[in-house]
Amino acid sequence: MKSWTYILLKRDLLIAFRRSATYITPLIFFLIVITFFPLALGPQEKLLSSLAPGVIWIAALLASLLAVETIFNEDFRDGTLDSFFISLEPTFILVFVKVFIHWLITGLPLLLASCVAALVLYLPFESVSAMILSLILGTFFMSLLGALGAALSLGKSAILSAVIVLPFSIPTLLMGTSVIASAINNQEYTGFLMIMGGMLAIGIPAICLLTVEALLLSYD
Amino acid sequence: MGSPPLFYRWSSKALVWLGVSSIITLSLGLFMGIGLSPADYKQGDVYRIIYIHVPSAIMGESIFIFMALCGFINIIWRAKISGMLLKAAAPIGMSFVLLVLTTGSIWGKPTWGTWWVWDARLTSTLILFFIYAALIGLHSTIEDKIKADRAVSILAIVGVAIIPVIKKSVDWWQTLHQPSTFKLTSAPSMSPEMYQPLLICVIGFYLVFAFILTLNLRNEILERESSKKWVKEVIGNQS
Repeated sequence: MKSWTYILLKRDLLIAFRRSATYITPLIFFLIVITFFPLALGPQEKLLSSLAPGVIWIAALLASLLAVETIFNEDFRDGTLDSFFISLEPTFILVFVKVFIHWLITGLPLLLASCVAALVLYLPFESVSAMILSLILGTFFMSLLGALGAALSLGKSAILSAVIVLPFSIPTLLMGTSVIASAINNQEYTGFLMIMGGMLAIGIPAICLLTVEALLLSYD
Repeated sequence: MGSPPLFYRWSSKALVWLGVSSIITLSLGLFMGIGLSPADYKQGDVYRIIYIHVPSAIMGESIFIFMALCGFINIIWRAKISGMLLKAAAPIGMSFVLLVLTTGSIWGKPTWGTWWVWDARLTSTLILFFIYAALIGLHSTIEDKIKADRAVSILAIVGVAIIPVIKKSVDWWQTLHQPSTFKLTSAPSMSPEMYQPLLICVIGFYLVFAFILTLNLRNEILERESSKKWVKEVIGNQS
């Protein structure tokens, strides 16, 4: 018998692939936001490369928030979530798997798109690896926060969860941009990466537990 | 404390004491601070804004810790009163943070020459302001008050991570903002004539918070229990 985590992973990925909008929309959104900056600020190479870390990170944050409502809303409406809560499987793990799937669908494509963004914003080539590392850690944290926001605003508008989540995403934004900025200036950036990793290490258990609690609000 | 009518009756007495003592402490502290204490040798009289700025900064942070504690109790023991306390404390905390930011920028203009700098202490305080806004916003969108309390409790527990960052921001980063005025472990770096009024002001601000919190809590209780018989009796007696 296959474990239910595997079944859940397979099912959700299948649903996402059949409905291409779920993973393409954040991607296109990310690229459009990136395109807006050279159009609005002018195409000078020096200006753009100095702004690139911030621009890429802001676009990534907004794009990962875009698909947040898909994490639980669908399952809540069709009753899948109900059956998870009565299945006696640990809901904590369920939430973690859901977050992981959300990251696979939105975070991972963003990593690829960010390479294109680095190219068009003239980000120095040596700092691309730092950018990708920071984005891996940062977008996963954003998926965690997004799950909490989605659980708290279950059945309500997506903009509400964005307003809830955005203030909490500021530390990620600061750390992420610091990583890239340090890499551009040839400075040590592992410290910032470690802080981001630490945030994940605390965030995964703490936010998953609180998300379970938030989901239960809709089942009282 | 658990029974709303009992709390309501008891708190009307406490309100008088809290009100009187907060007025006395705060006016004493402010009079000593603004009237009696000597002017700073470098900043002159501008520094006197710390008698409002520092206590409200302390309040903005400690109210958030208080709210996170209430949230924790609310999530684990489902104590109704802790949810109401959380709801009642949020707008007060937000006002204090607004007060810190405004007094800080009024002080910053003559001393730093600018209303605002993107320094770690200032930015993290601004984030705290946004988190307060998110908590209050979330509460107002959920119809069922008890569910709203629990949702806000969850968010308050996550948000409390910002408090140590604000506290330590002056030590971790090179900032324009000066290090803490008060430390528990060492003697204050100011002269006694300056920090004694500040200490009194801090106590006064805590009393003001307790006073407004009790007022808010009483309103919250009346609103939530408005269908109960005792509320009708109380309202009937007053009008």
